[in-house]
Amino acid sequence: MPAITVQQTPDSQRAARRLYGFLSNQPPSWYGLGILLLVAWATRPALLSPLLLLAILKQGAILGVVTIGQSLVVRSRSIDLSISGVVVVVIWIVTSGAIPLPVPALVFLALLSGALIGTINGLIITRLRASAVVVTLAMAIVLTGSVVAASQYHQPGETPDLLRIVGSGRIGSLPIAAIVWVAVLIPFALSLRTCVFGRYLDAVGSNPTAATVSGIPSLRVMSITHIFSGLTTALAALLLVGSVSVGNTNIGQDMVLNSLAAVILGGVSFGSGKGRMLGPAVGAFMLTYLFSLLIGFGLGAAGQAMVQGAIIALAALVFTFRSR
Amino acid sequence: MLYQAEKAPHRKAWPPLIEGIDISMNFGNTRAVSRVSIAGHAGSVHAVTGENGAGKSTFMKILAGVYRPSAGELRMHGKTITLRNPRSAREHGISTIFQEFTLLPNLTIAENIFIGRESGRRGWINRKQMHERASRTLNSLGVDIDPGTLAGSLSVSEQQLVEIAKGITTDASVFIFDEPTAALNGPEVKKLETLIKDLQARGKSIFYISHRLDEIFRLCDTVTVLKDGQHVLTTPCSELDEHTLVTLMVGRPIEDLFPHRSSGQLSSALRCERLNSGPGRSAVNLNLNRREIVGLVGLEGQGQREIIRAAAGLMQTPHATIEKFNSVGKAHPVDPSAGVARRLAHGIAFVPGDRKAEGLYLDLSVAENVVIGTYRDSALYGHASAQSSLVEDVIARIGLKVKHPKQSVTTLSGGNQQKVLLARALIADIDILLIEEPTRGVDVGAKADIYRLLRGFADEGGAVLVGSSELTELIGLCDRILVVRAGTIVAEIDGTQASEETVMSHALGVSQRQSTEKTQ
Amino acid sequence: MNPFGPNSRSGLKPYVVSMPIALIVGLSFAATDFLNRGNLSNLSAQIAPLAIATLGQLLVALVGGIDLSVGSVISLTTCVASASVGSTAGIALALLLGCVIGIANGLAVSVARMHPIIATLSSMTFVQGLALYWLPTAGGLAPPFLPAFINSTIAGLPVSILLLLGCVIVVGWLLARTRFGLRLYAVGAHPRNASLNGVTDRQIIVAAYAAGGLFAACAGVVLTGRIGAGDPVIGAQFALATITAVALGGVQFSGGIGSAVGAFCGVLTLGLMRNGMNLVGIDAFLQSAATGVLLLIAISFQRRTIIGF
Repeated sequence: MPAITVQQTPDSQRAARRLYGFLSNQPPSWYGLGILLLVAWATRPALLSPLLLLAILKQGAILGVVTIGQSLVVRSRSIDLSISGVVVVVIWIVTSGAIPLPVPALVFLALLSGALIGTINGLIITRLRASAVVVTLAMAIVLTGSVVAASQYHQPGETPDLLRIVGSGRIGSLPIAAIVWVAVLIPFALSLRTCVFGRYLDAVGSNPTAATVSGIPSLRVMSITHIFSGLTTALAALLLVGSVSVGNTNIGQDMVLNSLAAVILGGVSFGSGKGRMLGPAVGAFMLTYLFSLLIGFGLGAAGQAMVQGAIIALAALVFTFRSR
Repeated sequence: MLYQAEKAPHRKAWPPLIEGIDISMNFGNTRAVSRVSIAGHAGSVHAVTGENGAGKSTFMKILAGVYRPSAGELRMHGKTITLRNPRSAREHGISTIFQEFTLLPNLTIAENIFIGRESGRRGWINRKQMHERASRTLNSLGVDIDPGTLAGSLSVSEQQLVEIAKGITTDASVFIFDEPTAALNGPEVKKLETLIKDLQARGKSIFYISHRLDEIFRLCDTVTVLKDGQHVLTTPCSELDEHTLVTLMVGRPIEDLFPHRSSGQLSSALRCERLNSGPGRSAVNLNLNRREIVGLVGLEGQGQREIIRAAAGLMQTPHATIEKFNSVGKAHPVDPSAGVARRLAHGIAFVPGDRKAEGLYLDLSVAENVVIGTYRDSALYGHASAQSSLVEDVIARIGLKVKHPKQSVTTLSGGNQQKVLLARALIADIDILLIEEPTRGVDVGAKADIYRLLRGFADEGGAVLVGSSELTELIGLCDRILVVRAGTIVAEIDGTQASEETVMSHALGVSQRQSTEKTQ
Repeated sequence: MNPFGPNSRSGLKPYVVSMPIALIVGLSFAATDFLNRGNLSNLSAQIAPLAIATLGQLLVALVGGIDLSVGSVISLTTCVASASVGSTAGIALALLLGCVIGIANGLAVSVARMHPIIATLSSMTFVQGLALYWLPTAGGLAPPFLPAFINSTIAGLPVSILLLLGCVIVVGWLLARTRFGLRLYAVGAHPRNASLNGVTDRQIIVAAYAAGGLFAACAGVVLTGRIGAGDPVIGAQFALATITAVALGGVQFSGGIGSAVGAFCGVLTLGLMRNGMNLVGIDAFLQSAATGVLLLIAISFQRRTIIGF
């Protein structure tokens, strides 16, 4: 009687395939971070010291908070380039002294204005169908121009103590700014997984036509992501005010580009939300670490800009090749 | 019957100018065209006809260079040719006038005719020359339009003329017309026919894809019938009549896939008046009853798609009156200008025909695709419960075979993907289901499941409207079949009495003959 | 083909042409200094680089794209032209670099299928870094003949105006009389139909972006002549300025509709607005805010089917 042999894929091979599938689905930001840590360990192990990493965490918190909002906007197939404008507005509200209110009220006002700017962006983009890129860029210019014009003849103000504590302080060795970042990130991540808005965002990003055909309010979803982006940008600006590194006048511009890079590296792209919240967060940390490393190695403003541009291009290329 | 050339003494020239021999075309696992051979002769107008999906458009696209055949050979003037792309087809002298024109809307007529081979030396454009040549060609076609007009401002008929002019200026020897009269009115159709006869007199080989039988018999000397991607018959038009032609186009054994129809009291579920059936078309009235499956059928572009989408809230239908009757017969008016979400609130769900483009979220899992139908009553900040038990319930009820509800939707077969869409509709609390092409690209087993599901839904008190182009499906499944032609419902046929011929005849506008003489 | 008719792809709506005319008339009455020679020559000198760069942006917009790297290319050009003190080879190199950057943009968009925003955003950043690298702070010296030439007059007209008009005429004629121009319109309106008719859309798109880069570099050369030195951040405002001018000129970013005359009108409108605000004494920062508002209004007039990005 002939024996019937059945070729079975050995368990090890199946497991390996599954592992490969899992790994290749992870956002590039994890790999980027891994490579950076490896390079640091190989060249200057001092760069891996917990003290330094915590400092990076503190600085990266600002970018991280902005990235939360940007990743939402990008998932709904829009973009927010008005970040620098919101930052300027918030800094003015909180430090100029032109508004005679106690600091907590100013903080609330700052967050409110961020939300308001996001609302306006969302309205113009969804109702007037104007290009999100141009609208948010124009908004940045309008805001920056107006605020600088209004405040240029006044003395730059003092950072309120409350914000200085939040922005630069630590609890133990943990930077408060990082705690704020995590405190915003985790609820966002969790609630997006469990609330209706999160499901709708997944749907709208995945297939806007199908979303409309099945009755999902896609326009409202997109507007809301812009409101969230305005809020997180305002919060990040508050952290920024409190941190020591306000000297760089270009920081608003840097934030925009880096938030986009972090989002794309984090596996989120126009419509696709595979990276969820964690991918872009890791991307934000990775980028902050990268730039600290590069600056430590002597990279000036010129080199930083070139690296930024190259990263965005590379991240976009990687994404295009993956989705082919 | 195979293609038999010897029986055609009326042909003007021999051998064939262009031939497709043993052509097959596969799209993935579907065989759209299976070993079809068609030949065109100079001075002949050759009709190619069949139902929706018979393969006629696909075959012509192969001749036009849009598709490369999976098997088979193309020959022109006896020599084998390979068409790499539409431009290559044009260079071989094959000019195709598609239903979707290839004109550039922001270029003038003259520019459109000559784009890609503009008159003039080395990079410059000699507009005067182009203008003159275009004028001459248009005049030779008996047309008097300024060649300086932008193509985007032309009527459909005029755009078609420009496409024909393009073919003439490239000295094409083969002209392929794909459903050319779909958007033309009476006088324009006459003009087109004059043009085609003129091309015929010039010795061109013309293919005419259409399901308008009167035009075929008026214009063409030969006709090829395709069915389910296969060649049925090629014969001179003089040896055929309309009824035989219809029988050749349809006439399949109806498979035993369909659950029994139920009988019983019918109560009204949805009453629609003055539904929009397309721009410039008169409005239709539509009534759906509980426990009933109604079919909506028509040839391509006749308005059935607009009707079902107007009822579903996807298409604007501001002048309509829509009333939904609940299970105890109470009428609730439905706002005709409100969209899909509001319809859902009334318990009316729509399942689109193109599941990949308009239905499924390919990035999400099966469970996520299904459960998203349950959130319409919640606020955006509300908890989106995974409802796993409910989801598993529906999945089991539908017979959706998944290893795990969390698997990606892209891994499913066509049939299972369609079931996911149905699950999404059924999991919400609805009692009226409007569904387009429920079994397109679905294997036989899944078809039976879907039919069972629809019948079960109806038996429990729901009302179903099925828009489909598969006649056997409608005849087997539906209690009532509404036939649409030119934006009006031209016939309402009892499902138990329907045959493919009667439905097709109404769809084509062929006069009915006695039911006793069915087959030939 | 009547360019003003409804059957036209020039995009010249009544507001496109009437806005600059209204501004000229209005400013002549409202601002006493408007019509004086100094102001007019000042105005034309300011408008010239913007106009030349806008023509490049026009070509990119016609194929349905957008170029955010225009400003950085201008900055880079001023730096490259001024870095090696007095050398004229710097100018040639700058023009070459502009072309190369444009080609890179075009390849990214048409071959790598990157979205024009992402592609030109990343090249904008990269090139800005390059400019900073070339010339970390404003300085250097432009080859002496350049400022002399740009700031001189020929037959009573400033050279910058002649260059400006020359470029407008060249581009207008390119669009109307050459194969390349016609194919630009074709690819912009309907890339698929264009390729079905034998027009390789990839080549046209790369050429359009290359021309965009080249024109930006030319604008940079003219600007170098004006300021006589290099400045790595001087070009920053040009990106949005050219986009505003293009939008004001009736050009549709969805592709296929626009004209050189329209782009020129858009530049005039923008330049006159700024000049007017200057004469009236409005603060420079408020001016940029006002330009932003103008851009918001102009962009809302674009016809689009997609929402968001």
